[in-house]
Amino acid sequence: MASSYLLPHSQPNVHPTTASQPRQHHWSPYTENGGCILGIAGKDYVIIAGDTRSSEGYSINTRTARKVYDIGSGLILGVVGMSADGEELVRKVARKIDDYKRNHDKHITVAAAAVMLSRILYQKRFFPYYCQPLLGGLDEEGVGAIYSYDYVGSFEREQSRAYGAAASLITPFLDNQINFKNQFVPGSNGEEPRPKVDLSKEQVEKIVKDAFTSAVERHIEVGDGLQLVTIVKGVRAEGEEEDEDEREKTAGGGVISEVMSDLKKD
Amino acid sequence: MHRTGLSLGIHQLEHTQPSSRLNHHHHHHSTTTASTNYLHTLSSSHLSQHHQDLQIESITMNQFPHGWGRPRDDVYGAYDNSYLNESQPITHTQRPIVTGTSVLGVKFKDGVIIAADNIASYGSLARYDNVERLLQVGTHTVVGAGGDISDMQYLHLLLDNLLIKEQYPADDHQLYAPQVHTYISRVLYQRRNKFDPLWNSILTAGADPKTSEPFLSYVDLKGTTYSAPALATGYGAHLAIPILRRHVADEEAVSNLTQEDAQKLVEECMKVLWYRDARSGVKYSWAIITKDGVTTGSKEIENQSWKFAEMIKGYGAQNI
Amino acid sequence: MTSIGTGYDLSNSVFSPDGRNFQVEYAQKAVENGPTTIGLRCKDGIILACEKLITSKLLVPGSNKRISTIDRHIGIATSGLVPDGKHFTNRAREEAISWRRNFKDSVPVASLADRMGSYAQAYTLYSSVRPFGITAILGGADDDGPALYMIEPSGMYWGYFGAATGKGRQAAKSEIEKLNPTELTLLQGVKEAARIIYVAHDDNKDKEFEIEMTWVTKDSKSATAAATGGKGMVWNGWVHEDVPKELLEEASKEAKKALEEDDEDEGETKEEKMDEDL
Repeated sequence: MASSYLLPHSQPNVHPTTASQPRQHHWSPYTENGGCILGIAGKDYVIIAGDTRSSEGYSINTRTARKVYDIGSGLILGVVGMSADGEELVRKVARKIDDYKRNHDKHITVAAAAVMLSRILYQKRFFPYYCQPLLGGLDEEGVGAIYSYDYVGSFEREQSRAYGAAASLITPFLDNQINFKNQFVPGSNGEEPRPKVDLSKEQVEKIVKDAFTSAVERHIEVGDGLQLVTIVKGVRAEGEEEDEDEREKTAGGGVISEVMSDLKKD
Repeated sequence: MHRTGLSLGIHQLEHTQPSSRLNHHHHHHSTTTASTNYLHTLSSSHLSQHHQDLQIESITMNQFPHGWGRPRDDVYGAYDNSYLNESQPITHTQRPIVTGTSVLGVKFKDGVIIAADNIASYGSLARYDNVERLLQVGTHTVVGAGGDISDMQYLHLLLDNLLIKEQYPADDHQLYAPQVHTYISRVLYQRRNKFDPLWNSILTAGADPKTSEPFLSYVDLKGTTYSAPALATGYGAHLAIPILRRHVADEEAVSNLTQEDAQKLVEECMKVLWYRDARSGVKYSWAIITKDGVTTGSKEIENQSWKFAEMIKGYGAQNI
Repeated sequence: MTSIGTGYDLSNSVFSPDGRNFQVEYAQKAVENGPTTIGLRCKDGIILACEKLITSKLLVPGSNKRISTIDRHIGIATSGLVPDGKHFTNRAREEAISWRRNFKDSVPVASLADRMGSYAQAYTLYSSVRPFGITAILGGADDDGPALYMIEPSGMYWGYFGAATGKGRQAAKSEIEKLNPTELTLLQGVKEAARIIYVAHDDNKDKEFEIEMTWVTKDSKSATAAATGGKGMVWNGWVHEDVPKELLEEASKEAKKALEEDDEDEGETKEEKMDEDL
């Protein structure tokens, strides 16, 4: 059919076959590094904890990778998912929080930082950061705040949230232990829900540790070590004079501290 | 003079705006006048009744001279302009071609040891047998690369240029392993963001010239980075890491490991890889970095024993 | 100046009827007032030296460098307009990097000199630009050993055993001509270079100055040399770096002493002469 050369549209659609075309290996820019993070906000504190295992498939890359970062202005950010994207996100947010301080000569509030983080994620709507972030800080009243996000920036302020490999294991545990779901007043015959109370930081730290030790038992991507980062309102030690500068350090007056402990390594 | 310039600017503005608007409507034909553009915008779409009326007109004769005497779209299909598209879709590396296999790195109390064999494979063919995959970068850093060899060589070029530019200010400042590692990881992550990865897994090893603090870090084609007392890329991650972790499980073990033991450990692991990784070579390069700088060397796997093979059918010469 | 008022010096690239390009000549004038800068091609390397007048006590000693590294094995010293020198240096660096990209090799000194000569010459051709107000002394070493070039505002470049430019170039040149470059070692060269800078400075006696001196050597003991390139790097083994501080100080001291002795001798001869006259 000599005319077919002139008539590209009348040619039957020829699909490339494995014989005629080099096989296209489809490369994904994404990977998944496992691990788990958990954030809980209290009346005057915030905790974000994460395990320190970083893996790829069945290989453990390292047992000492931190997932929770001090991003300046008394705020913390935990990230799970693809660690390369997560670290890039942390760098970007930390940089912007620093910029904010230089431009406005004051620390950003956790609420403003929360919106900012949302915008950063949404800007990459069509090539998203493959990570789930938890932002923690004290709000202007000094009340703990956890903000949780999806990959493309949808966010909300929450009391508690677990993200990552063992999120599905930890979430119902949190429902029960933090929000007292399915707990009832003894003797009420399952009629009267147990009333909600503000848990102390010490109580919550125990819950966090239990959550992770349990997750380690049942999820292969979680383990090795626990990084527990807390923000509490700056308190003066007894006899210590009030230092205005120190108290005004951040929007919520938060002081960040970190405790490392062991988790099972198997 | 100034007025002329200004009026020219406005003139250009008037001129370009309408035509760019038309071009926007019309992307099939690039060399036509404004009125014919309009015709083809309609005739190439198959949506409205209005356009079909126009199409029928164009078959006979209509007010658009552009269509007169041209092959009928309804018979021959719309004119194929695709050959006019100057740019072809950009293609990127989708797979490595000539490759290097594992790189090993182990921290010990005074520094780090890093090793990589000298084979560059083309698929399963051992294409080159004298390739250096360790690169010294400055006084206290060695970079070892697995994966695509051409990408590795390109990275070497970048690192070479980086060092030269570091030299320009003629001050005492120097780049050490943490800086080199960060630089490489930024390059690799940016390339993955462009969907044009440098197909490598890379170990950066170094020691602080003042404190002796050993440094060992990994980065790969997706920009994933991590650090550990012992690291290995490729098959090494599966075959050598379990052995290495037995000896250097954590930083405390690192501070108890001597250079001699670290060397023996790496020799052992390179031997295991030689036995079990079909893409590995018998000759390898090693480098030790301490606060005093870099020492390098080359070694062959010693005391090989293939006795186990006697029991396995298909392994070497045997009577069937 | 015969050029003034003729109109042939108003635009770059325009010849006068007697075949001169005045803009280029004016650029050369800019250099003639620049700091004395010399280059020596020794048998085992290159020396670049520059007399840097201290224009203010507020300047940090050793700042405002006139000699720069182009590539590991090449240095450049410029005399004349400082910003022009900076631009020229940056271009040379780009050329050296581009040579590496293309050929995976260090650029030969002659090739770099050729490219930089062409670059300078291009700035004599168009009315939209002006020539560089500098001369550059390019020193380096490659497989053929040490090489020294001087590039002028016209784009003309020649290879030299010894080159001098700037204010004290005449005195410096006549001193260099007394040397035997094929036998001169780098260590001797450092002393000679320091002495020449002092001699050339003589007319400017009351002004404070410091000597900036670098060399290109294959036998460096400094940290920069080790840092410059490791195993596997594209490097021919030569390093352009500062002459070690102690060595330069020693050379300067000797040069100063020698000069003072000369002055004393001259003083004596003058007195003797006066005696004779009496």
